[in-house]
Amino acid sequence: MINAEQFSQDAPTDRLLAFIAFLRGRDILISPADSLVAMEVAGLVGYDDRTLLKNGLGSALAKSKFEIEVFNEAFEQYFGASSSDKAKNENEPRDVDDATDDSPSSQELGEQLSQAMQTQPELAKNLSSELVDALRSGDEAAIAIAVETAAQQVDVSSIKLLTQRGQYIRKMLDALGEQALRDAAVELESTEPAAFEAVQALREQLRNKVRDRVDRAYMVHASGDAEDMLDEALSNMSLGNVDQHHRARLKRLLERMTRKLAARHGRVRKRVKRGQLAVSPTLRKAMATDGIPFKPQWRKSIRRKPQILILCDVSGSVAAYAKFLLLFLHSLQDILPRTRSFAFSSNLGEVTETLRALPLEIAIERVNLKYGGATDYARAFEDFASLAMADINRVTTVIILGDARNNNTDPRLDLLAEIRSKCRQLLWLNPENKRSWGSGDSEMLGVIRNCDVAAECSTLKQLERVIDDLLVQLNC
Amino acid sequence: MSHSFPKLESVDSIVESLATAGYICNEQIATVVYLAAALEKPILVEGPPGVGKTELAKSCAQVTGAPLVRLQCYEGLDESKAIYEWKYGKQLLYTQLLKTQLSEVMEGATGLRASVERLHTFDDVFFSKEFLEPRPLLQAIDAEGGVVLLVDEIDKADFEFESLLLEVLSDFQVSIPELGTLEGRSKPLVFLTSNDTRDLSDALKRRCLHLHIDFPTNELEGRIVRARVPQITEAMTDHLVSFVSKVREMDLKKLPSVSETIDWAKSLVLLHADSLDEELVKSSLNALLKYEEDLTSVIENLVDLLNTEKQAANA
Repeated sequence: MINAEQFSQDAPTDRLLAFIAFLRGRDILISPADSLVAMEVAGLVGYDDRTLLKNGLGSALAKSKFEIEVFNEAFEQYFGASSSDKAKNENEPRDVDDATDDSPSSQELGEQLSQAMQTQPELAKNLSSELVDALRSGDEAAIAIAVETAAQQVDVSSIKLLTQRGQYIRKMLDALGEQALRDAAVELESTEPAAFEAVQALREQLRNKVRDRVDRAYMVHASGDAEDMLDEALSNMSLGNVDQHHRARLKRLLERMTRKLAARHGRVRKRVKRGQLAVSPTLRKAMATDGIPFKPQWRKSIRRKPQILILCDVSGSVAAYAKFLLLFLHSLQDILPRTRSFAFSSNLGEVTETLRALPLEIAIERVNLKYGGATDYARAFEDFASLAMADINRVTTVIILGDARNNNTDPRLDLLAEIRSKCRQLLWLNPENKRSWGSGDSEMLGVIRNCDVAAECSTLKQLERVIDDLLVQLNC
Repeated sequence: MSHSFPKLESVDSIVESLATAGYICNEQIATVVYLAAALEKPILVEGPPGVGKTELAKSCAQVTGAPLVRLQCYEGLDESKAIYEWKYGKQLLYTQLLKTQLSEVMEGATGLRASVERLHTFDDVFFSKEFLEPRPLLQAIDAEGGVVLLVDEIDKADFEFESLLLEVLSDFQVSIPELGTLEGRSKPLVFLTSNDTRDLSDALKRRCLHLHIDFPTNELEGRIVRARVPQITEAMTDHLVSFVSKVREMDLKKLPSVSETIDWAKSLVLLHADSLDEELVKSSLNALLKYEEDLTSVIENLVDLLNTEKQAANA
């Protein structure tokens, strides 16, 4: 749990800034301008009414349905905890930690310790620090200030990994001067059991506070980094090796990539050079030349309509990669509306409708079930030729995904050559490492001669690059 | 801060006054409207079709008494239809006029140099505000006293159009190459609506406050139905609303929207129905669902849908 409230009561702006940093760690892009708006919003609605603040900040910071979900969750985490603390603080002014609820309050503990200190002047001398005074009197504010100062001393905000928690907690405790308490505990253990208990309890309280502070720093400054690291690792990992556990994350990553690609390669319109005259734009253009129309304008502008045919090998070894390619291209429906998909292992069939009608995950499983088996490229090319050869024209891009391993039979590369001669470009994507192309029963060397681009596509990054290049080509 | 929209001064009063205009809203919607009026920022309203995005803008116009200027977006919309256009016909007439008046203007000027000098002293009105035909966006910022500007279905417009909007939305001004920058006379309350058919640019998003309106809760939808169809009984409304919310949980091609719930309620009132039974639902369901597949799949599950409903009503 985070106690965002503790220190920043008089500086709500800092708290808001910390919250924004927290959101950024959660993948929400917030520009400085957005932060300014958030400040203005908070200034208008105030910090007292939580729902009002949530709605207001949400409108300024969360910009899509996905971000709203993240925002709501983050808001509860960040401001939720502090408000419950507040409620608690009103009822029992000192005790914040649930763990210490049953044990005597810090004031009682403090009194016990004070008694021990009165009897032992040596101990009193050792323990005469502001921190111990604050702990003894249960002065939350003073403790909080001390913790915060220590946090700044050890630069807790540079925490990067969860495993660093222990280290930072130790560092902060040292900076706080907890050593004295520890020594006192050792000394008292044999002589005064009651005072020993008290010291231990106070140490525990302090430790909890420090741990909370470190956790908060981790959540604000590092959890996002850790996520980024995982994302980075996943997008560079071979898609076949990603385990079930990370599939969901991978899918999210893929969605983000497609969004990015779609935004970068939005629909491009081209002005045509003939057609029906558009009178008003022509006259408008002609104004610069005193009404003499030098530059006629035409009614229509055309949008390029690239057609893409994807052939996916869905036999066991390649199926995982095929799934991601299909997911990728079908998520790009908006900018590539004329995409047709075919699946094959021995025989080939069109699966466009299946993919369109069902949710992608289920559809792909069904496709695998129907067309999975041993690969036979010759048969697949023959089927494809009879199904779609007539539809291939100069705007068609054909993408074939497969490992080009044909179990030592003739792959009918002549058909591949024919396909290439008819289409605009032919791409072959192979999930195998380039070094193993052509080894064993791989026909990849023959394939390379018969296609425009042959690329490796075993990771999400590679897949993204291939599709990025493809979209650039299609739009120019 | 002085606002040009005196009726939008607090969240509670917005909820109330929108209710008097027949728009029942939750606190979230009211908060965003309040912030938009106070911060003078546009609101980007997103959500499924038929949850009252456009209606919100209309109701705000009604409440504030400000005129509503509406710009419906579509593919191919450009600045000449959205911001301004030259009255080229009149401009051409003006050049004709100028030709006939030319001798008068040039009277006494001898030689080329003198004529050109004379021409420069002559007031140029060819590109002037008189020849400007304002389109909705220019109208909205040029109006005396605030207006409510509704840019409907911004996601249908082209990507380039969004960039055109940016200047209007952030600075409330329009740059016209021939004239320079026209400052707006007042800041309108701007609503942009989007059905989420494509992602809007970050630049546009950054300039707006975001409001995501989802399907309302049963309680809220009940109040909306009662506000719009006052003849309907309370028990009937509860039935209807919980039935619709169950239908929304199904996997349908198009989920029934709030406006369709209202249509259905109206048709049930016309049929003088006082409770939902199978026959009645079957015969009137096409007010609620617009696809044949959806209709059949709901009718298949009708018994279940109505049964659970009765249990809920009993409980």
